[in-house]
Amino acid sequence: MEERLYDLIFICRPATPEEEISKIVATLEHSAAEHGGKVEKTEKWGTRRLAYRVSKHREGFFVYMVLRSAQSDIIKELERRLKVSDAVIKYQTVRLDEDLKRQQKLVHHRERRASRRPRKTGAAPAPQQQVPPAAEQTAAS
Amino acid sequence: MSDEPIKASPETPAATPAPSAPRAEGGSSGGAHRSEGHSGGGGGQRREGFSGGGGGGQRREGGGPGGPGGGGPGGPRRGGKRQYFRKKKVCRFCVERVDFIDYKKVEMLQPFVQDRGKILPRRMTGTCSRHQRWLGEAIKRARNIALLPFATEL
Repeated sequence: MEERLYDLIFICRPATPEEEISKIVATLEHSAAEHGGKVEKTEKWGTRRLAYRVSKHREGFFVYMVLRSAQSDIIKELERRLKVSDAVIKYQTVRLDEDLKRQQKLVHHRERRASRRPRKTGAAPAPQQQVPPAAEQTAAS
Repeated sequence: MSDEPIKASPETPAATPAPSAPRAEGGSSGGAHRSEGHSGGGGGQRREGFSGGGGGGQRREGGGPGGPGGGGPGGPRRGGKRQYFRKKKVCRFCVERVDFIDYKKVEMLQPFVQDRGKILPRRMTGTCSRHQRWLGEAIKRARNIALLPFATEL
C-alpha cells in the first residue's frame, strides 16, 4: 500500500501540565513507530478558545501532528490511545494525501497551461480560441 | 439584509414587468408569478414571504418616491427603474488560485461562515461551485475539532 498522510489534532484539558502533554506526544510517536509510521511534525498550538463546549471546557490545549504511514492500523491504535487518556477531550484524524494529490495535479495543470499560452498568442492571435482544445486533444491522445 | 441584492440579481434583466403586477394583486395570486418564468418568479415570491407581514407595507412606500438612498437594492426594484447594476461577484479562491482549502486556517474560513456558524451560500459569497465544495468540507472538518462552531450557544 502506498503511503498515506494524516493530520491528527487532539485537544487536552486546559489544566493539563505541560509535561503530561509531552508524555502523550511521546507515547503517540512511539506507538506510531511501532506500527511502521512516522511522525513528521508536531506542533503545540497552546491553549485556545473552543468554538463550543467540549466536556464542559471552553478552552483547550491543541496539539497538531502530521503522520505518514502505509498502514491504516496506526490510526486505529493512536485513536484508541487518545480515547483512553484522560487528559484528551477531543481528537480528529484527517487523511490528507488525496487532497494534496489533487492539489498537485491542479498546480501541474496550471503550469502546463501557462507555459503553453505565450506560444499561441505569438503565433496566431486570431484563431486563438479554437487552437487550445485541439492542442489539448493531441496532448491527451 | 445583505441577501436581498443577491436574490434579486437573476431576475434583474428578465422580470422588468414583474414588480408592478404582483404588487397590485398583493400576495394572493401565485399564478402571475409562475407565468413570468422560473427564475424570476421564484426569487420574487420567496422574498416577499421572507419579509412578510410588517415589511411589505413599508417597502411599497419606500419604492414610491423612486428608491431613496437608504433603500439600496430595494428601491429600484419597486420603482420600476432598473439603473442599479450589480457587480459580478468573483470567486475569491479562484482569484487567489487556491487549490487546497486548509481546515486549520480558521481566519480564512471565517468570512464564509455566519456569526452563528452557518455556512454562507454561494449566492452571497460568489464562490464557484468547486471551491464551495472544498470550502464546505474544510468548514465541517474545522467544526469537528472545535475550531468553528456548529451553532453558537448563549
